[in-house]
Amino acid sequence: MASVSMESQTPPKTVGAKPAKFVSPWTVALYAVLTALTTAVTMTLVIPLPTRGYFNIGDAMVFFSAFTFGWRAGMICGGIGSAMADLLLGFGFFAPITLVAKGSEGLVAGILGRTYKGATWAKILGIWAGGSCMVTTYFVGEWILYGFGNAALELPLNVGQVLFGGLIGLTLSQAISRYRNPNPKTT
Amino acid sequence: MTGFIDLYTEASTFLHRMDPRVKIVAVATLSLLALITSHLVYLLVLAAVMVVLILFGRASYKKTMLAFSYVFRVMALIVVLWPLFDPRGTPVLFGFGPIRITEPGILAGIATAARIFCLAAAWYLLMFTTSQRDLVRGLVKMGLRFDFGLSLAMSLRFLPTFSAIVESIKDAQRARGLELDKGNLRKRARDYVAVLVPTVITALKMADTLSLALQSRAYGARTDRTYMRELKMRAGDYVALLIAVAVFAIPATAKYIFSIPL
Repeated sequence: MASVSMESQTPPKTVGAKPAKFVSPWTVALYAVLTALTTAVTMTLVIPLPTRGYFNIGDAMVFFSAFTFGWRAGMICGGIGSAMADLLLGFGFFAPITLVAKGSEGLVAGILGRTYKGATWAKILGIWAGGSCMVTTYFVGEWILYGFGNAALELPLNVGQVLFGGLIGLTLSQAISRYRNPNPKTT
Repeated sequence: MTGFIDLYTEASTFLHRMDPRVKIVAVATLSLLALITSHLVYLLVLAAVMVVLILFGRASYKKTMLAFSYVFRVMALIVVLWPLFDPRGTPVLFGFGPIRITEPGILAGIATAARIFCLAAAWYLLMFTTSQRDLVRGLVKMGLRFDFGLSLAMSLRFLPTFSAIVESIKDAQRARGLELDKGNLRKRARDYVAVLVPTVITALKMADTLSLALQSRAYGARTDRTYMRELKMRAGDYVALLIAVAVFAIPATAKYIFSIPL
């Protein structure tokens, strides 16, 4: 599997045309797939709660993308994928908040989780820092939209969700990295 | 809550024919309008306008109820919880220790619930009248880079596929004796990993194939992009754009420049 790069390739020049920048086809394909996967997991793998709403494990996919493919993938795929799930579930007004919350979660987790060659403690640090970004953003956003009572009620739910998602994302990224060949040239 | 739903409802109303760019702008201005309005009566009027628009768009009853079921639950919670945390105002209806239920508190709770309804309705209007293809096209025309637009369009296309893959892998692992709804959190996390690992491997293989497909179709070979279907603003679209901007600009001017309470 090729490594992910966001370097723009230089396309052949056409006379009189505005040069268009574009990322490599592998990046386009990978980001499309990761975004769709995040949305699908957020929408499908839900644990229904008896009292209210649902508990999704979309965070697991955000952390997985961030740990395996870097902070750009975590930010773009996590943010847009989760926001898309909100849009498709009829929670469109919440999508901008989700975009910021999950985007920052993927960004921070991707930067911290890949330090020290992706050691487990670095990933746990990434989950902690990224998770606090997400929980804080959601708390502030809900406070503005729903009022303090609802935001406070949702807070433990979000903390639980991010911890559960982080646990799954950590296990998943370690399991997948065992299958991926780190250096394709040697085989 | 299982499987995939597409909110888009096929019809040919004026809302469906409107340019997607105008609709995106209108959703932004309507959301801002709902956010700056705080008086209950105005919010209820806005909510009524939204309901009329949804009816004009010929939304299907089933999809609307599905989309709004969570919103209604949140609204009910706001109406119940807001007065508990808002002890301002004079006519105290009920007091117990630090908790004071006041009349303005209850009214503010209802106003917030109405605002949430307006916001949800505005976004639902966009989602059920615009096909995903038009939405991406509109975003690209509004300045999104085309490669990200392509990525977004592809992810929207693969969404139902992946939902089906997740479901079938879940069923396959259940057939092997996996119990997803049992055990403590650690066990549940491991069970979900058993579902997610095959899903992710399938998805990454699919990404490999997709990138080959993109290369074989000469993705990025031409620097000047041409489009098979161009978006054109018609006269009606300009009128709609004007209305959408005015609907936000006039109340905002009234509130922040002439300080008329809204």
